[in-house]
Amino acid sequence: MASFQLQVNGRQHTVDVDADTPLLWVLRDELKLNGTKYGCGIAQCGACTVHIDGMPIRACCFPIGKLAGKNVTTIEGLSVHDDHPVQLAWQEIDVPQCGYCQTGQIMTAAALLDRNPDPSDECILRAMKGNLCRCGTYPRIKNAIKEAAQTKMS
Amino acid sequence: MRTTRRSFIKVSALAGGGLMMAISVPGSAALNRLLKEGESQLNNFLSIDTAGNIIFTLTKHEMGQGSGTGLPMILADELGADWSKISLVRSAYDPKFTSREMGTTGGSSTIDKMWDILRTAGATAREMLKQTAANRWNANTDDLVVDNGVITNPSTDESYTFGELASEAATLDVPDNPPLKEPKDYKYIGQSIKNLITPEVVSGKANYGINVDIDDMVHASIERCPVYKGRLVGFDDSEAREVAGVIDVIAVPQMTGVIEEHHVQAGVAVIARNTWSAIKARKKLRINWDNGDTTDQNLNDLAARMEQKALETEKPVFEKGDYASLKNQDGVEVFQAIYDNPYQAHALMEPINATAHYKADQCEVWVGTQSGERVNNEVVKLTGLSVDQIKINVFNSGGSFGRRFYADSAMEAVYLSMQVQKPVKVTWTREDEIAHDYFHPYQKSIFEAVISEEKKVVGWHSSISRTEGYHSGSQPWEIPYHFENIRTYFEQEPSIVHVGAWRSVAEHSSSLGRESFIDELALKLGQNPLDLRLALLDQPLNRIGTDSFADRVYNYQSLLQSRYLEVLQTVKEKSWYQSAQEPEKGVGLAVENFGRTVCAHVVELTMNNNTYNGFVIDKVRSVVHCGTVVNPHFGRGQIEGSIIFALSALQYGGVEVERGRVMRSNFHDNRLVRIDEVPDMEVHFVPSNDPPNGLGEPGTPPLAPAVLNALYAASGVRVRKIPVLKEDLVREPQAV
Repeated sequence: MASFQLQVNGRQHTVDVDADTPLLWVLRDELKLNGTKYGCGIAQCGACTVHIDGMPIRACCFPIGKLAGKNVTTIEGLSVHDDHPVQLAWQEIDVPQCGYCQTGQIMTAAALLDRNPDPSDECILRAMKGNLCRCGTYPRIKNAIKEAAQTKMS
Repeated sequence: MRTTRRSFIKVSALAGGGLMMAISVPGSAALNRLLKEGESQLNNFLSIDTAGNIIFTLTKHEMGQGSGTGLPMILADELGADWSKISLVRSAYDPKFTSREMGTTGGSSTIDKMWDILRTAGATAREMLKQTAANRWNANTDDLVVDNGVITNPSTDESYTFGELASEAATLDVPDNPPLKEPKDYKYIGQSIKNLITPEVVSGKANYGINVDIDDMVHASIERCPVYKGRLVGFDDSEAREVAGVIDVIAVPQMTGVIEEHHVQAGVAVIARNTWSAIKARKKLRINWDNGDTTDQNLNDLAARMEQKALETEKPVFEKGDYASLKNQDGVEVFQAIYDNPYQAHALMEPINATAHYKADQCEVWVGTQSGERVNNEVVKLTGLSVDQIKINVFNSGGSFGRRFYADSAMEAVYLSMQVQKPVKVTWTREDEIAHDYFHPYQKSIFEAVISEEKKVVGWHSSISRTEGYHSGSQPWEIPYHFENIRTYFEQEPSIVHVGAWRSVAEHSSSLGRESFIDELALKLGQNPLDLRLALLDQPLNRIGTDSFADRVYNYQSLLQSRYLEVLQTVKEKSWYQSAQEPEKGVGLAVENFGRTVCAHVVELTMNNNTYNGFVIDKVRSVVHCGTVVNPHFGRGQIEGSIIFALSALQYGGVEVERGRVMRSNFHDNRLVRIDEVPDMEVHFVPSNDPPNGLGEPGTPPLAPAVLNALYAASGVRVRKIPVLKEDLVREPQAV
């Protein structure tokens, strides 16, 4: 084990874990930030998506040892009052069924809209196809992203 | 506390002021028994405090089907409540609730089972509040108006809020037959009220079993025997113990529960101070397994055995008329087809998990489960503790689809906590979840029809063989179509993997064959498949027997018949089922009931050799009859979700098994439909004021046969299996 410093949601943390520990398990087990979800451990489902320096990254495959100097944003830090346009749109469209994958979906969608404030349908599908939803809320995810894009534009 | 002898509702004063209501369904003595033990023992189903805050106790499991919002909607509507004053507490497993409210959440039965209870509970509280207001005003209750948590006397314009009335209302007698609202007066039922879990989901604060964090808790990851029911011989854990954070390594024996279908596979558990250390160390275990009898089993062998069994069986389970002699008559044509419906994995998004803390005289469990009752019963068996020493905390689930019906992960956690004397959280990896799933049973279906010289179907034979271990309520001979001669055979074959309930259970397996075969018959007879279905449905029903059971069966069949007809007539009226006019396109139809809900899908697709499966589903249009739709947004979501769920099985499903080992491990080889593969979907609910029936499962079964029928229309290739692969769609070379 070794000591690692990391910056999450604007706060500095020190954790004592192995260097190969994925960021996912540091967030969940050490920092108790449970909004980031375990789904597959091999970057196939997107449930663990966080932002590292603004980019959507699968936390399950990102070892803590490679995080030095980077800023991590999790769903808990996406907005102060849960009012990021994507979070508001998710509520407006009432997207979730079981809800488990949705924090990862929201983080991927938020990163997409940061890069492209007015994505085409094709862009939305391309950006979101790494995020699985077993409940099948995909049509509502797509609608919510369009809703968020409109809110952001206006 | 005020109550009447016949009432199943007890009302008492809420501590701190207000009204508390406990319920017990008629016929159950649970509450009456508890009444003797004093009012503190009552189940607190509903309470209204002096500020008018309404707390509803959710006894059913929330796993994405919307029970945590749909159920309080029904209650709030009848109560006349202000929706914004409703909040929820999730009940731990509590034997004070009867098994009807609390035993199991499954079979798409939650709304169905709770409808009467919730409406009666809401109406009772409303009438007691009204009576209190009427007493104060010296008015007649019939003259008062209840809306949005306020009771008004229109003649004087005076009003009271629920909160102002609740304490006094709790002292009144409980009315026996409170009037229920007419459908035209519904305020919340039929509205797309937003899901109460949404705000906590989008903030990341939604709590699932996998988030449980108990003081002094340790984490377990279990390496299980790769072959079903294999046993542990021994293991070398020296390298695993060197991994930082590892606390202990413990053998987990194969366990069978009180209920035989609760199977815990033999394994070796690494106990560590965090999840990652446990997962990492587990890979360094060297384990010697006795893989047992299943180790030489391949899926293809099983499939061949099952097909043989279905072909050779002489085990009739239902017979009507004389199929055997009909089949041998001169001039008739016998037509047979065999359909394959393989194992399927659940692949729910929140991997299986459970946390337990065993102490000498008590045991507490934290788990997302469809049946707290089943978990409780297994903990009693494992620990030898009594029910009042056990607490089962139930969490919302990140998907379940039948998988969390079973108590296996809780059994593992309790067993390990008993060994280490600490709280233990068992988290399954995705690889565990796929390889050691409780798979959808394998089914082979042989359908056969006798066609007369007049080109009519006069006999219907089905012969089903299914892997044993899981039964649903529906039976293979329950078909909605009418034939003079019917013969049904049913066989079971030992499974080579563990099986269990998977969204829409036996209906998914049976529908594929039946709804494909009906299409094949129609085309053989030169008839329109929709018209043939309507003709075979629209026949007089026979009442069998004269007792009350016969009445129930007859009423059930009549309801189903009328719903099948309404659903298919709606498809016809909407002109949704029309042959595709362009080459390489096809349209297919299938219809199925799950319980009282009937669902038809019309699938439009295009052949496309550049895709993984060789075709693209363009559109799915659905007609559903489920009685009253409590929340249309949720209802549409369940049907859309079922379509996508069934599409994953059709495009990527099945589970390969070689030498007893499941050959899939994660989402790269157990693929699921992704957002860029979703067809356009349109869902139409048949308008109805009937009591509501379930929507969680009914959209799943008819999807696969509708696609297979559309594929035939598009390509001329009849596929009788899922998943459909490109190689299944190779066309016969055309004669020049």
